[in-house]
Amino acid sequence: MAENILVIGGGPAGLNAATMLSELGVNVTLVERDSFLGGNPKKFKYKFLFPDMQPADNVIGELIKKAEAAGNIKVNYSSEVSDFKENGKKFDATIKSADKSEIKTFDSVIVATGFEHFDPARDAKYSYQLFDDVIDIKDLERMMGENNLLRPSNGKPPKKVAFILCVGSRDRHVGNQYCSRVCCTVSVKQAIELREHFPDCEAYIFYMDIRTYGFFEDLYWKSMEEYDVQIVKGRVAEITSGPDNTVVCKGEDTLLRGPFEIQFDMVVLASGMEGGPQSPEISKKLGIELDEHGFLKPENVTLSPFKSNKDGIFLAGACTGPKAISDSITEGAAAAMNAYTYAVKNR
Amino acid sequence: MKYNENGVSIVPSEFKKEIFDEARKDFRYEEYVRGCLNCGVCTGGCPPHRFFDFSPRIVLQNMKSKDPELIWTMMDEYIWACFQCFTCAMICPFLNSPGGVIAILREIAVRRGFESAKKVLKPYSRVLLKLTAYGNQLSPDMIQPDFFPDWGPHIGYASTDLAVKRKAIPMPTLQVTNLAWDVAPETMKELYEIFDEAGVFKILEAVDPSLYEIVQDIVDDVRSS
Repeated sequence: MAENILVIGGGPAGLNAATMLSELGVNVTLVERDSFLGGNPKKFKYKFLFPDMQPADNVIGELIKKAEAAGNIKVNYSSEVSDFKENGKKFDATIKSADKSEIKTFDSVIVATGFEHFDPARDAKYSYQLFDDVIDIKDLERMMGENNLLRPSNGKPPKKVAFILCVGSRDRHVGNQYCSRVCCTVSVKQAIELREHFPDCEAYIFYMDIRTYGFFEDLYWKSMEEYDVQIVKGRVAEITSGPDNTVVCKGEDTLLRGPFEIQFDMVVLASGMEGGPQSPEISKKLGIELDEHGFLKPENVTLSPFKSNKDGIFLAGACTGPKAISDSITEGAAAAMNAYTYAVKNR
Repeated sequence: MKYNENGVSIVPSEFKKEIFDEARKDFRYEEYVRGCLNCGVCTGGCPPHRFFDFSPRIVLQNMKSKDPELIWTMMDEYIWACFQCFTCAMICPFLNSPGGVIAILREIAVRRGFESAKKVLKPYSRVLLKLTAYGNQLSPDMIQPDFFPDWGPHIGYASTDLAVKRKAIPMPTLQVTNLAWDVAPETMKELYEIFDEAGVFKILEAVDPSLYEIVQDIVDDVRSS
């Protein structure tokens, strides 16, 4: 008889895990809280992915297609694991949706519950939601996805746009001391896209450090050398309204200008990633550990980053910390391999 | 006192080291000085930064440098430019407090009776006298523009329509006029005890010896009454 494995979360990590397991002949039950698959990239309509600017649909769309085509993946939309119990080496989970609830026994479990975008309104100095033209990277990604890059306040093309890095990351005031890893590269990518779309529009990036790690550095250099993006060292201290329907970024350029107040048509906040409310919830429900940053805690961050502290429950993707889509996909595969091995061993 | 070309007083390096160590040993030091990545958010939000050559980022960096020379360059003028509004502490992602560092350094300057401290406190000798000798305070309705020219050009505006302005403050005010100016002898004696214990009189002696003598005469009178 085929193994039964539960995958919680239908984003890049969960989709890849489910697909690989289905190819091994496993019966996969996929639980997805939204009414669609694809996770945050789909929800916020990411358009192009760094580093090679390939359409997000080539990646996310492909994963969804594969999962939907597989005969042995049962997708439960708008549903959740409402109850969870260990049953020897196996697990009894209640899967609940709006109209029904069923209990099933699984050989192993993969948790791929992902992340939430930091809500920039929580950091008042950026005036997010106060001014229409202050948006964040997920808003801009959605706007690009909808082919609309115009200023939210008046529908006109922007002439000068600021990107502010480390919003909701590396800041003890908002409670997130960690770096969200991808927002630097996403911002550089978006600045390039903006300059491509509106060659007359100036783009500024305000940074504390630019962390375009590994080969993503290529994109960062390209933004300077080919797209003339202005890179300014200094975290913005305050965003206020300026004359002629502008927003003013106030801060200190710690290398060149000293104090500055610069008017922009639009400000894009590089809001980071958080474990979201789902991480503590799933940690409590499944009895797996949560870390001090609000993400799920791997058994060993170096040796087994895809394992939870509980035998038979595996972790994949951004539920264990901020990461790029490619890393989530890799972890989905790693968790699938481990969940399969566990299931076979305890058959 | 001799000064160098940058207006910094010339003192032996051992003395600079002593001041530096005194600041580092302050019980608040660990809380106020943490990591710093030079992001500049403190200086970007700093109100006096718009008016003076003053940067909370430099204050914190100097303090973290472990270089007594750099600390000393701030002792004469730099530390007195801060408004002590603590905006820097409110926005620093590391939860540093450059304003707190300034407070530590100012307290050293006052305790040791540095020239800079004397100069800064001189205009406040009337306030110091009233406060330390009689425990007097000002209540808002006492402020009359003619008698408070040293409070700046806006004092006229500040003293009008008080009832309306005070409505912006969510707690009862304007109720202390009599108490503020007519302090009971028992209260004054208690205050002297506190000032003695906390070393306030000692500090006063260091920064303004003549004012200290006047205050002590009054203190002796009240204590013997």
